[in-house]
Amino acid sequence: MEFHLKKRPRHEVKVEVVSLETKYPSNVMLYHYPPTDDIHIEEFEELALERLRLLRILERASTKNLRMLSDEWKEYVGAELTREGLRSYLRLCSPAGGKHDSDIQTRRRDYISHFILRLAYCRSEELTRWFVAREMELFRYKFSALSSSEVKQFLDDNNFDIHPLTEAQKDEVKDGLYESTAGQSVAKIELLDFYKVPFTQVLDLVRGRRCYLKAGFAYVNTHDLVSIVGTRQQEEIEQGLVAANGLVEEVEGDERISRMLKALHNSYTGKDYTVCRDAAVPIESLDQLSKTSMPLCMRMCHEHIRAQHHVKHGGRMQYGLFLKGIGVTLEDSLRFWREEFTKKMDADKFARSYEYNIYHNYGKKGSMVNYTPYSCAKIIKDMAAPGDCHGCPYKSMDPSSLKSKLTSYGLSPSAIDEVMYFVSRGHYQIGCGKYFQLTHNSSVEPTINHPNNYFEESQILMGNRQKRTNGPAAPKARARPDIKGHGDRSMLMGQDDDELWRIAETQERILQSQKDISEAFNDDLDLTEIEY
Amino acid sequence: MPEQVADQENQVPPQPTAAVPAFNPEILQDMLPLYYRRLFPHQPFYRWLSYGLTEDGIFCNREISFTLMDDIYIRYLCFDSQAELEKELCSRNPVKIDIGPVMHTRPKMHRTIPGGLVPVQRELVFDIDMTDYDDVRTCCSGAEVCLKCWKFMVLAARILDVALREDFGFEHILWVFSGRRGIHCWVCDHQARHLDGRGRYSVAEYLNIVSYVSFGGSNSPRVPLGDRQHHSIKRALKIVEPMFEEVIIEDQNLFGTPKGVTKLLNMIHDEGARGEFESYLQKNLEDGAHSRQVWESFLKYSNSMRTTTANAWSRKLKNIVQEVQLGLLYPRLDINVTRGFNHLLKSPFCIHPSTGKVCVPFSVSAVGKFDPTTVPTITQLLHEINAFDDKNKSYMEAPEDKSRIKDHKKTSMFKGVVVFEEFLRKLERSLKVNGLQF
Repeated sequence: MEFHLKKRPRHEVKVEVVSLETKYPSNVMLYHYPPTDDIHIEEFEELALERLRLLRILERASTKNLRMLSDEWKEYVGAELTREGLRSYLRLCSPAGGKHDSDIQTRRRDYISHFILRLAYCRSEELTRWFVAREMELFRYKFSALSSSEVKQFLDDNNFDIHPLTEAQKDEVKDGLYESTAGQSVAKIELLDFYKVPFTQVLDLVRGRRCYLKAGFAYVNTHDLVSIVGTRQQEEIEQGLVAANGLVEEVEGDERISRMLKALHNSYTGKDYTVCRDAAVPIESLDQLSKTSMPLCMRMCHEHIRAQHHVKHGGRMQYGLFLKGIGVTLEDSLRFWREEFTKKMDADKFARSYEYNIYHNYGKKGSMVNYTPYSCAKIIKDMAAPGDCHGCPYKSMDPSSLKSKLTSYGLSPSAIDEVMYFVSRGHYQIGCGKYFQLTHNSSVEPTINHPNNYFEESQILMGNRQKRTNGPAAPKARARPDIKGHGDRSMLMGQDDDELWRIAETQERILQSQKDISEAFNDDLDLTEIEY
Repeated sequence: MPEQVADQENQVPPQPTAAVPAFNPEILQDMLPLYYRRLFPHQPFYRWLSYGLTEDGIFCNREISFTLMDDIYIRYLCFDSQAELEKELCSRNPVKIDIGPVMHTRPKMHRTIPGGLVPVQRELVFDIDMTDYDDVRTCCSGAEVCLKCWKFMVLAARILDVALREDFGFEHILWVFSGRRGIHCWVCDHQARHLDGRGRYSVAEYLNIVSYVSFGGSNSPRVPLGDRQHHSIKRALKIVEPMFEEVIIEDQNLFGTPKGVTKLLNMIHDEGARGEFESYLQKNLEDGAHSRQVWESFLKYSNSMRTTTANAWSRKLKNIVQEVQLGLLYPRLDINVTRGFNHLLKSPFCIHPSTGKVCVPFSVSAVGKFDPTTVPTITQLLHEINAFDDKNKSYMEAPEDKSRIKDHKKTSMFKGVVVFEEFLRKLERSLKVNGLQF
């Protein structure tokens, strides 16, 4: 796709004669043609920040575990949009809205601001993931508000060459449709139009087994059309980001713009736990630390290893990288695993089968990548198989076992109820934060996004570590690699889409919690510095 | 004796008369040269990975990795031709061969390529490992496998194969015994090879219906079924149901110990109902009752509870019987292998270094007859060609001409090669048809 940032004068004439309404005919448009308007630098900046606020609202909604487009979700997003003065966007996303002049202005803002943020978010894979995920949420929200005639119009305008099955065609596969169309009653399915598309066009439906699938084709009903359209939109945005990336240099020629764009995406950096810069943690203290400062997921790994003298790959990765992150040196790490594992196997087998992996995690073997400890998002998503001990216990444990585990860790029944309240609602990280608060007698309940962040907060509260004086974002600036070589974070293997954007998401949440915490501790911090 | 002579090619493989020595891992390195020189099916192997050279670089940009003796692992190998691959195999004699993706350029250049290698295509692969079934088998554990627990693999292969064919429309599916206790599946259709990361992830998730809930030390499978069941799940149930009693109740007697009963209890995902059923069992059955009695009690109890009043059994646990059946028998996939574009997977026709067995392809329609315990070892194969040669005296005398019988045809590896060639024949035919359309 061609992507022109600089306006060509000869186009301008044309632009003038086209009315805004013709230019932005619908609330929902595929962001295909880059805008060619002139805009002021102030507006440029304003639009960028506005969209950022918009996308962050969507992100907060997904952090809260609200189901996309559910009533609670809509309520939350609606309230937040209103609170942030973005009501005009809310109109864009509601069925009746979007016909007034002011709405057409909003369409324009929507369209242009999307393209501005592309410039800020094309710079790394993580940013891209984050951006695409948010943009797709916005798109789905807008699309869900369209009436069926508007949907038809949209399909025509955007050359979607898809046609509903004829009655006869539908009849042939009707049993499959009844069985496998999710979210619709049989009576409804009788009436609905169905479209037959290659399964690769509706991967989200395939993944959730939400549609009938036969011989490589998915049968999609009108209500799920957004999947087909969304796939195109997503490709459009992804390709656009690649194209935008090629233009970054040109854009950076203008210092006013480049400074702003950089600031935008820099504000999305979280903390990096790949390399621990604090004092080393001796492995002799791990038993104690596991009781006081490790989150449940890590404490359970630790206990598993001490009891079984072995742990499967998933657990070695989760716990091993965590240990690296809290400051266990490579030598100590090797010693720790060796001492445990050799209770069950000879030293030679350990050396042959496991040492490589430990070196590898520390970036000393193989691809020489210093691996990043797992975040909550990844741990929650990781599915443990039989015999594994990793994963998020709040999610993976049966409630009765979780309760008895917490009891054995000394929590009172009322405290357990508090934790279980969140766990049973799927708010695992909030449950974990609650556990932190209860076990640390702390008044603040930290937002837990990363086991290493849990550990660090715990150590700070117990007075064993100091808040980093250089602030949360500063060390990250160094660690963030430039676009080409994300050397130190290739646990995000290229193919691992979901993971990538989840990590991008987590990064921001980490930043957020870092901010909150650093604000909470600011006073102490100054004092310690003065006293030293 | 469940002998598998029913297949068409029973005339050639000789029945070795002398006792075949057991495989000895210590001398594997000494046997490999002969295996690669005389038995490894170089030509079909090349035909597979070259896909009729229908796409640029499809063979020569493929990453292949060798594991040599003493765990020396060499990645990023690639070969320009069948001759080169054959030469390297015969000179390095790898203990293991892994197949990676086709890259955008020669993988051996990986150090000098700015931005690194980019994978452009790769078969859609599945890996099912018997260790993931350790909690549901009582006959063997760890690396062992017997005909009883092989039935888990039989079901897994049948369920996956039919789903890949019927739902996704894939046709070129190669099933391979992994040499010890697992199976691999290579989907080689053009569309499957070109699926992107998201596509692979989605297909894997579609086929992966079992999740696990942890009870402290042990993880219990869960397959939540709603009111209406997706056709793929119904179909899986149809395959699983008739085998359930044979495999779980009779062969494994899984619920025959207090520990086994706990396994069943843990699959009841409602704490209250679980407690009720537990006390019912305690009242009605003795400890150590046979699985059949436990299972019958379970069926009876859940049925009676369901029909009485509105309770957990009639709401949350409506489908509990099917959920247990699927939870124990539905294929347990290592989905990271399927998801990864970059994941290397052991090649067919490798020799498994600790069992000495050949990773032979098998036909999924005959998977029920496949016996992992009689898959030939390298020792046996070499023994067989020697015996054949002794009898015919042709090997030493006859010149290298076309009429000479291919060595693998003299051995019990023959059947695996036949399955492979049949797969290739269909694959090549479809490549030709599609080629004409372009």
